[in-house]
Amino acid sequence: MEKRLIKKDALSGIAKKMTEDFMVWAPVKKEDNVFIAPLGNKDEPFFSYLNSKNAPKNVFFPHTETMMKYTRTEKGMAFSSEVKKADKSILFGVRPCDAHSFVLLDKLFDQEKYKDEYYIAKRQNTTVITLACVTPPYTSCFCTSVDGQPVSSDGADILLTDIGGDYLVEFITPKGEALAKYFGEAKADASAEARKNEIAAKAKEAIKSKIPAHEVKPILDVNFDNPFWDTIHRKCLACGTCTYLCPTCHCFDISDEVKGSDGVRIRSWDSCMFPLFTKETSGHNPRPSQKERWRQRTMHKFKYYVDMFNAISCVGCGRCVMYCPVNIDIRKIVEDISKLESGS
Amino acid sequence: MQNPYIPYPVVVDKIITEVDTKDIKTFRFKFVNPEDEKKYAYIPGQFGELSIFGKGECPIGIASSPTQKGYVEFTVQKAGVVTTALHEMEEGTIMGIRGPLGNSWPLDYLAGKNIVVVGGGFAFTTLRSLINYMLHEDNRKRFGNITVIYGARNPGLLLYKDELAEWGKRTDLNLNVTVDKGDATWKGKEGFVPAVCKEVAPSKENAVAVICGPPVMIRFTLPVFFELGFSKENIITSLEMRMKCGIGKCGRCNVGSKYVCKDGPVFSLAELDKLTPEY
Repeated sequence: MEKRLIKKDALSGIAKKMTEDFMVWAPVKKEDNVFIAPLGNKDEPFFSYLNSKNAPKNVFFPHTETMMKYTRTEKGMAFSSEVKKADKSILFGVRPCDAHSFVLLDKLFDQEKYKDEYYIAKRQNTTVITLACVTPPYTSCFCTSVDGQPVSSDGADILLTDIGGDYLVEFITPKGEALAKYFGEAKADASAEARKNEIAAKAKEAIKSKIPAHEVKPILDVNFDNPFWDTIHRKCLACGTCTYLCPTCHCFDISDEVKGSDGVRIRSWDSCMFPLFTKETSGHNPRPSQKERWRQRTMHKFKYYVDMFNAISCVGCGRCVMYCPVNIDIRKIVEDISKLESGS
Repeated sequence: MQNPYIPYPVVVDKIITEVDTKDIKTFRFKFVNPEDEKKYAYIPGQFGELSIFGKGECPIGIASSPTQKGYVEFTVQKAGVVTTALHEMEEGTIMGIRGPLGNSWPLDYLAGKNIVVVGGGFAFTTLRSLINYMLHEDNRKRFGNITVIYGARNPGLLLYKDELAEWGKRTDLNLNVTVDKGDATWKGKEGFVPAVCKEVAPSKENAVAVICGPPVMIRFTLPVFFELGFSKENIITSLEMRMKCGIGKCGRCNVGSKYVCKDGPVFSLAELDKLTPEY
């Protein structure tokens, strides 16, 4: 597909121009943090960011979302589905690891059987514009260990790469190409592409943090009962920060809220780190302590998701590493698992 | 396509109190929109999410058989928020049910074989669905000998008493009902389910055991069937886990890489051996 060049300082203007026609989500600075947030009239997008504090999964899978509405009637209840028609949206300037997470979430929410219309409606109506990481944002980034690249179009409809004075604009999908009119007229030549490939190779080299993510699957297959699991959770506070910030964590709760005669059924993010997550009415809890919950989280990312969808459910963004209040480091956990016996 | 999170509206058509303690009732639902009954085509062993305004949802095995037309039944113990609200409902109330969800008893695998159904206490519900399905005149000849071993703590806690009496009159069914301890009027067997299994000693030849009950019953019943020579492929059971979505997305009912809601709840012992013991 076609490739173009835009001046670096033109990017903000393009994002703001798009707000005239679309709901635009872009990196916005709030105090010391950058969030992927709806771009308002008075907001200035902030593209010289490292990575956003929040993973942008909430664009398709909001923290809280109404699934259906109820009304109490004389005979009981009447209810109706609440799959809203999603606004035409643009996710402008997300990092490649987060764009990769959408491909992973699609596998779950958009399966052949049981389609999740709430997620799919928003996903289908959103164009993803990825802003490549020409320099690694953080030392805790490890995307190259989990099928990612700092310059990658995986999950993107448009890929923007900083190649010096300009951004190279690559339209990856027809959905991306449909937005071509916003990106000027300057066609990119072969030298721009060569420059991008050079930058991409260097960026990949620059990711120094590496984990043996692909090696641990056969080890996890046979080490459910390893004493290793008795240790990793010990300092965990069960705060759930890792799961809330994780771009691929998708667990949710469904609950009812009632006001007078009207009510809604909502879903909200939930976390496998919480004791009540699996607790049954009888009092029995198949994952009774933080040990089992940590084993679940680790297994889910590096074994169960691989069994189910042939993909590791981690994109190497490093948020859980950076923001864990007690410094539990998934990289260290995977590293340590790789040293256990595989049994084969 | 039907949004799998949205229940079908149903009316509570009939409520039957099953046990003396009055905390287990069977709820018969009729679909408010008759065309929904077709969409709710189910197989014995599947479950549904019972959905109550302002309370939430609760996954419960389907107790009726698809051969029973015009309604669907769930037998529910009063335990948590939703089931308590359900127990307080009156006939004629409109609520919701989702599903059918999960796999089912493996009817194709069971066809042509001798079937041993073993149930304990309140876990008899989806087994009742299976038995009524197999006994139906359209299906009976597809199955070999049918042996049923069903136990409860005392006579008052037996479910489906009228049906048990009807089944007892049939010649094409070997019915063994037992209670841990009888009362003055009880004329049937006394003894725990594992002991009765040993006494009945069903043959392993071309046979499959379908076993559902409290963990303690399962623990003592399995060795009996191993001793009788049943292979792990031919012992089938059903798991329960806390659930929300029922369609493999909300992330809480997995046992290893399998979601009990979507890949289960029915597993053979051979399949369970391959899973992690986290249930």
